Amino acid sequence: MIKRIFGFSVEHTRLVILLTLIVTCLFLWQFPKIKVDTDPKHMLPTTSPVRVYNDEVDRLFSLHADTIVLGISNKEGIINTDTLKKVALITQSILKIKGVITQDLLSLSTVNDVIVKEDGLQVRPLLDQIPETKDELETMRKVLYENPMLVDRFISKDGKTTAVYIPIEPAANGKAVADLVRKIVKEAGPPEEYYLAGDPIARDTFGSQMFKQMGLFSPVSGMVMCVALFLMFRNYALVFTNMGVAMISIFWSLGLLIGMGFPVHIMSSMMPVFLMAISTDTVHIFNEFYFRFREVKDKRRAVLETMNTVAQPVFYSDLTTAVGFASLATGAIVPVKVFGLFVAFGTFVILLMSYTFVPAILMVMKESTIQKALGREDIKEGKAQGMTWLVKLGGLSLSRRSVILKTGLILIIFSVIGISRIHVNNNMVSWFKAESEIRRSDKILNKELGGTSLAYFVLDSDKEDFIKEPSTLRYMETLQRRLEQNPLVGKTTSVADYVKHINRVLHQNDPKFEVIPGSKDEVAQYLFLMEMSARPNDLNNVVDYPFKRANIWVQLKSWDAGVMRELVQAVQKYTLDRPLPEAKFKPAGIAYFNMVWNDEVLWGMVSSFLASLVLVLGLLIFEYRSLKWGIISFIPLLATIVIIYGMVGWIGKDFDMPISVLSTLSLGMAIDFAIHFVSRLKQRYQEIPDVEDALAWTVGRPGKGIIRNAVLFALGFAVMMFASLTPYITVGIFMALIMILSSVATLIYLPALIIHFKESLSFKGGR
Amino acid sequence: MRYRKALIMTLALGTIWTRASFSGDALAPGEIVRACYARFYYAGDDMKARILMKLIDKGGQERIRDLTMLRKNSAEGGEQKYFIYFHQPADVKDTTFMVYKYPDKDDDRWLFIPAIDLVKRIAANDKFSSFVGSDFTYEDISGRKPEEDTHTLLREEDVDGRSCFVVESVPQERSAYTKRVSWIDKENFLPLKEEFYDKQNELYRRFEALEVKEDNGIPTATKRVMQNVKTGHRTEVTFQEVEYNAGIGDDIFSERYLRRPPLQWIE
Repeated sequence: MIKRIFGFSVEHTRLVILLTLIVTCLFLWQFPKIKVDTDPKHMLPTTSPVRVYNDEVDRLFSLHADTIVLGISNKEGIINTDTLKKVALITQSILKIKGVITQDLLSLSTVNDVIVKEDGLQVRPLLDQIPETKDELETMRKVLYENPMLVDRFISKDGKTTAVYIPIEPAANGKAVADLVRKIVKEAGPPEEYYLAGDPIARDTFGSQMFKQMGLFSPVSGMVMCVALFLMFRNYALVFTNMGVAMISIFWSLGLLIGMGFPVHIMSSMMPVFLMAISTDTVHIFNEFYFRFREVKDKRRAVLETMNTVAQPVFYSDLTTAVGFASLATGAIVPVKVFGLFVAFGTFVILLMSYTFVPAILMVMKESTIQKALGREDIKEGKAQGMTWLVKLGGLSLSRRSVILKTGLILIIFSVIGISRIHVNNNMVSWFKAESEIRRSDKILNKELGGTSLAYFVLDSDKEDFIKEPSTLRYMETLQRRLEQNPLVGKTTSVADYVKHINRVLHQNDPKFEVIPGSKDEVAQYLFLMEMSARPNDLNNVVDYPFKRANIWVQLKSWDAGVMRELVQAVQKYTLDRPLPEAKFKPAGIAYFNMVWNDEVLWGMVSSFLASLVLVLGLLIFEYRSLKWGIISFIPLLATIVIIYGMVGWIGKDFDMPISVLSTLSLGMAIDFAIHFVSRLKQRYQEIPDVEDALAWTVGRPGKGIIRNAVLFALGFAVMMFASLTPYITVGIFMALIMILSSVATLIYLPALIIHFKESLSFKGGR
Repeated sequence: MRYRKALIMTLALGTIWTRASFSGDALAPGEIVRACYARFYYAGDDMKARILMKLIDKGGQERIRDLTMLRKNSAEGGEQKYFIYFHQPADVKDTTFMVYKYPDKDDDRWLFIPAIDLVKRIAANDKFSSFVGSDFTYEDISGRKPEEDTHTLLREEDVDGRSCFVVESVPQERSAYTKRVSWIDKENFLPLKEEFYDKQNELYRRFEALEVKEDNGIPTATKRVMQNVKTGHRTEVTFQEVEYNAGIGDDIFSERYLRRPPLQWIE
């Protein structure tokens, strides 16, 4: 069957090439319909409990999921007429931006405050009148610092920073709004400095940069691979074919994805790079073709013989890769599923091209150019079989096998220890480089103010007016103090704080009264006063309409998922120590969402990956009709993964999203090498039944293809080290490492293993 | 004195009305708004009303404000005094609130908090903030001086079968809105609908008078709703009882009655 396919392609070269191009155009036709989705939240389906509950909390407490924070700081302190004027002006301008939720924008000039005067209270917006005289400025300072709800939110402890909190509509683009805010503050100008932070900016900036970087690095790494290919084969047609196969599979699978109406997500944006990597498998065909052509000197025969020999390993390596990726679809996370299935599809396209397009191109190549390219290669690599150093390497792994096996074993044990040290964490802000504006702003705002990340703990009861009970308020207050013991918690705010503040204000600002009052009616009437004097949403944000639920705001100084995990545990411990039968706490908010999202995606990825490992192992056993061969050819993949993640553990890099994506890439590559190696080894053994000779030959000849493949691939990915987003840098560096490791594992460790177990391995039969 | 004022007002309105019917569109938009201001916020010499406010959030959850409002004018377009007694919610019962409204300066307010038996004077310049947590601002409750905006007559239009002037008002002085469009009943000069635009020039609040009844020949919008179209929150107001020119004494509006509500007026 397979023979017939490539036989047909050899006979009807033009038809095959034409057909391929036509189908490619059909898929390209879909591209204008492209939809992009950069919100990592959409990794979880809308029905996932955390999203449902977050939406409910937003609704119950009139909250907005997305808030941008603008920090304004002045080294001389912000309480001076000029800076305050600017704050008012900037606020006015920001209110005009479409997508900004006007009624809930908070800044010094929109917040109301209750001030104690000799003859009563005064209710007014904080910046109702810009203070001009020294006395007015001093009063302003006093007012700000006397209200604990303003400190760390609207004024830093050192008085040098204030902030504007800009909620945006769910449909608005955080980066677009942020760009407009940047323009406004640029006009406002120095001496103040301005900082922008918040989840929507990080997310949308990451999204837009991600596509830019993918758009830049896919072609650049393609080009680097082209140059490397040319240096290897000295033949433009070959370079073209190889890249052609990559492009065709990218166009087909992306075209299909877009055509079927899926949005291009963070994961699927990486498809081009993955497919480019997988398509390097065709190098094995060219590699063998060069050897064959030298032997038989007849293009047609060389093509057919090459295909006869390579068809099977190519088939199995692509099939295994495809199955591996397709098995990602066993997980629960939709974009990961989509990614897995479409990369699997792309892999099949590569397989199809290997049988049709590649032989067709080989057929239309001029013999003279091939001859010329071969001549060069001979001079470069030495004489005859042109693989001297590889043969030596093969010999080495046979003669020093016990050293190699022991070293490998020690390395693996060492790595397993490393894996046990892995720290799971995810922090989207750290996806930007340390010197990037986003990360710098985030760092400064977290230092100066309460924290840019936000979590909620919702106290949920069935009893109406439960929250008005003084005991409930005290219970919340104690929890707040506990949470604040965590050094990364900057500030907590709840309805208890408002009640305490009003109590104090009503009692001539006497700090003694900054406590929860004794009776429920008192609480109710204080809250009523607040409703009469503040923005309604100030209260709505912390307590629901029937006073059944209250919401504790916890501002975090870090976007680490790990911090949130600690808080969730702290709350659990608190409720265990002091049970409250009528009510329970539930976490929510962006920090909690990030934690859940991180865990689900990460573990979803890990479990899908484990599933695909098992599948791949099964497939290998089936392919060789032998348990032992299956396991042996599985070892390079396993060793590579263990060592890579061992390294992650040892160097203390957080195990995050990008790192977990890596595992799937290794799946695509390491297994290919082993399959090519073992299949060709067995073929060789059929011809000359001498294990050692066959091993040396395999390391030398198909081994060259493996080395070429690995180098090509490592180079292509190494380019990503120059990216501006850390996940790409991570993927670039680790991919290059994975390539080196898996080729070394295949060419050095695998032969040593085979020789070691040769007595119990059958070299005959199989496939 | 009361009699004289009522007479003046009738005369004034009469002139406006005659001019409106005789010369059609010739009535200046500023005069329309001034007439509306007088009719809507200064009706009668005094007023007593039992008002039920329902604050309804986007999800349909409700909070209730059941109150009695007493109002007394000193001169049309001039000073006003408000006394508000809260019947519900239950835990704020007996809370009272008093407002002296001055046309040219900030209000004076007093609040009595029964739980701690305390009267607090509140100086406020927050005309644009919410009245007791509702979608109405203090300004919506006591009126915005027509002179603070410039008015343009856009067109005439029917609202629920009543012909209205449609007037656009653009603030000259500080304001919470950037534009207000009012549908003012040509006959009784009550605003049947108002739309408020925010700083992004988008519609954000809509007022509607859903039911108008007369007492003593004075028309009152007895069912009103203010909806924030951006947040989905709305406030429904029902005037359960209204009485004009009931003869409320000036002494009611004092700290003494804040502490001991005048039972005959709040029933």
